[in-house]
Amino acid sequence: MSTITLYSVSYDLASVLLGALGSILPGGARAAITSADVVTGLSVLIFGVILLAASMLNTILLIWWERKLLGRFMDRRGAMHVGYAGLLQNFADGFKLFRKDTVRPREADPLGFLTGPTAYMVTSMVIFGILPISTGWNSGALPLSLLLALAIFSFAPLFIFVSAWSSNNKYSLMGGMRSAAQMIAYEVPLLLAVVAVVIVSGSFSLTTIVTEQQNYWYWGPLVLALIVFVAAMLAEMERIPFDLPEAEAELVEGWNTEYGGMLFAFFMLADYLRALVGSILVVLLFLGGWTMPSWVPSAATSFPLAGIVWFMIKTYLVFGVFVWIRASLPRVRTDQLLRVGWNRMIPLSLLAVFLAAALVIVKCLPVFGCLPSVGG
Amino acid sequence: MSEMWINMGPQHPMTHGLWNLRVLIDGEMIVDVDPEMGYLHRGIEKISEDRHYNEVITLMDRCCYVAGFAWEHLYIIASEEALHLEPPERAQYLRVLCDEFQRIASHLMWYAAFVQDLGLMSPFLYGMRDRDLVLDLFQSYTGARMTYEYMRVGGVRSDLPPGFTDHARKVLDWLTDRFVEYDQLCLGSDIFRKRCDDLGTLKATDCVTHGVTGPMLRSAGQKRDLRKDRPYAVYDQLEFDVALADSADVTGRYLVRMEEMRQSVRLLRQVLDWLDRHPGPVLADRLPRWLGAPYAPVGKEGYLLKRNYPKGVGFSAVEEPHGEAQAYVVNEGGEHPYRVKFRSPVFANISAARQYLVGYHVADIPPIMGSVDVCVGEVDR
Amino acid sequence: MEPVDLTAALGPVLGDRLLGVEAFPRSAGRIRFERSGALDLFRAVRDSLGFRHLSMVGGIDWTDHREVFYVVWSDDRREYLFLSTDVPADDPHVESASGIWPSANWHEREAWELVGIEFDHHPDLRHLLTPDGYEFRPLLRSFKLHEPEELEVKTRHV
Repeated sequence: MSTITLYSVSYDLASVLLGALGSILPGGARAAITSADVVTGLSVLIFGVILLAASMLNTILLIWWERKLLGRFMDRRGAMHVGYAGLLQNFADGFKLFRKDTVRPREADPLGFLTGPTAYMVTSMVIFGILPISTGWNSGALPLSLLLALAIFSFAPLFIFVSAWSSNNKYSLMGGMRSAAQMIAYEVPLLLAVVAVVIVSGSFSLTTIVTEQQNYWYWGPLVLALIVFVAAMLAEMERIPFDLPEAEAELVEGWNTEYGGMLFAFFMLADYLRALVGSILVVLLFLGGWTMPSWVPSAATSFPLAGIVWFMIKTYLVFGVFVWIRASLPRVRTDQLLRVGWNRMIPLSLLAVFLAAALVIVKCLPVFGCLPSVGG
Repeated sequence: MSEMWINMGPQHPMTHGLWNLRVLIDGEMIVDVDPEMGYLHRGIEKISEDRHYNEVITLMDRCCYVAGFAWEHLYIIASEEALHLEPPERAQYLRVLCDEFQRIASHLMWYAAFVQDLGLMSPFLYGMRDRDLVLDLFQSYTGARMTYEYMRVGGVRSDLPPGFTDHARKVLDWLTDRFVEYDQLCLGSDIFRKRCDDLGTLKATDCVTHGVTGPMLRSAGQKRDLRKDRPYAVYDQLEFDVALADSADVTGRYLVRMEEMRQSVRLLRQVLDWLDRHPGPVLADRLPRWLGAPYAPVGKEGYLLKRNYPKGVGFSAVEEPHGEAQAYVVNEGGEHPYRVKFRSPVFANISAARQYLVGYHVADIPPIMGSVDVCVGEVDR
Repeated sequence: MEPVDLTAALGPVLGDRLLGVEAFPRSAGRIRFERSGALDLFRAVRDSLGFRHLSMVGGIDWTDHREVFYVVWSDDRREYLFLSTDVPADDPHVESASGIWPSANWHEREAWELVGIEFDHHPDLRHLLTPDGYEFRPLLRSFKLHEPEELEVKTRHV
């Protein structure tokens, strides 16, 4: 039995579609349409559509998950009425936003105002083409996929700042400034934490990093890097306690104050896309990706697409932790945030890098494979 | 970077009401502030000159939507004095019951809004949830949750429904447990302490100079509570302590308000016990007819029964949840008050905004103004 | 503090500008004074009697004249004191107390815009509750609630 991969699914779909189309066409056209080039071309298109749909669907599901969790943390129920347990609530909300007018302030700069959110959205979605979900479920084993993903991830402050500045609103501008300062400050510890992972795994490829975790997940040996990574990721995702750029108490909505309708929905979706990317990265780098420890019964890990199922479960649990943090912590202040970023996080992440290097040098990594709770 | 003015309000998440805080900022620092009030001015003092004494009570509820009872009580004391009336003792206890439950409801509302300003999401819902329990109690004996119209010149409108005191005690037990949880959520959080300690400091001398009263003054270590200093109603017969803190900052105001809620619970238990043991009338029996009527008479004649009511002035000062409220009622005979003047504690507290805001960050405005507990309805009247 | 004590304490300062001291509910009493002695009285009340906290300032329109009243509080004595002075309706001027009690600032702005009392040497006499340029004094008896003044409302969509 050949394994199901994202390529095989899209190729099969393309050939089935074209075959069905070809069967009702005359001979010459049939031959042209079922040629290998056309099938491959269509399969790439389908491949993209699947990725797009999957990322969007997961984002919307993620919003639902956050709303329900937050509701429980707050002693209420969250969305309840549209669909089963409110599952369709976000689709309804999205539809409402979709139907709204795009209102642009008269004084706003049209180009930046429109391209900012669009580019923010697009760059956030591109990352999904890079992240592997399971064995074979990625757009190709890029040798530097981790680096590429993080590079695209760090585009965000630029577009946030563009849209904030072109809104021509004082609150937006302040939010944009804060956002840029915060993201740049936390980019460094984030990358350094990743360096620790790279040192231990010896690869920049996300797929390799996951397969390297077959024996032990990295959160055990690299617990310091994990803490730094999660904290920096919270800042990059602009979630409480680091949601200063859109601290609604003082900045109304921060850099997206002037946005409404679909452009606001772009920001909202992109924010959750980034949250999803953040959770996925935590799973990939520290929690073994789609692999499961050996003490899990093999029946639970060997059914078709088991990797994806486990991967999604882990991702949603990680995001649940982010929601938990959001529900229980107050917001910090800008200067405190930056001070923590430069004075605490960077030394900590450097320490994590040194620890990782030390682990590799003294070759004590396999020890962690003995701990069943860690993985392997 | 050059300085710029930003308008925080009239529609802004920080304001909790309709007012405008103009802030001159240099980067993220506050250089100057200029509060602009009046967006909610309804002319309550003027309208009162055209109303019968009991009809003004309706307006008092609208003075402050979170502390309606306190304002009713304030006005009632002053007008009873102006009209030379004495309420029965049970009515006095009922008023204290209203006052203290109102204090808890108001402080819970403050807690919810304040933690929301800090970005704490869950406690916001907890505060609102527990405040609803108190509002349920109000509803059970006044019929309303926010605009009660319960007190009357010469007493209160009606007695408590049967079983009320037991229900109220259950609510108090629940609240006592919740207060512990609130403290854990706030004081137990390092970020909370980092944000609130030494923030918005206003020393006791500055408080006095700028007319600041209430929890803000008590958080600066000055023991001043009208319930102790100039006891009204039956506060001199009840046991409680004045909540104090000495840090004069946002944390201090938090501590004072939390302690005040605990003291209110203590007061309420005494009041409930007294009410159980002492049934009696709740409205003075010798009232002019238009004052005794529980509902406003429909016909025009009903108003004009007594024209030459003896003149008098009334002055009252009440420890409202936000601070020290005062009312001055001038009765020149006739059925309307000649002049009613109110002093809102928040009015004075906001007027000192420059003293406790300048020099902090823009991000500090919401917690500082949250710790002031702004209620615009009573500022603008 | 009894009215007699107040007279004894303030009489030497104000002389015949002290018009009388009378009992007043829930307070030490009410001091009636000539408006020319306002600042002297304020200073004496704050510094020698210890009433450091100004609670409120208000105005009453008695049609033929207007009354300005001040409520002050002493933390040492734990009591209120009323100060009140009359100003003629056609010349409603009185010295501002905000130099002595800074908290008078906003109260005087309110009394100015609602009752029409002019406070001399006030640092910042702007509209507080009513809009800028609002020329009516709503708390005057001549401002009738049932006969609304015609106000021209300017809207953008005519």
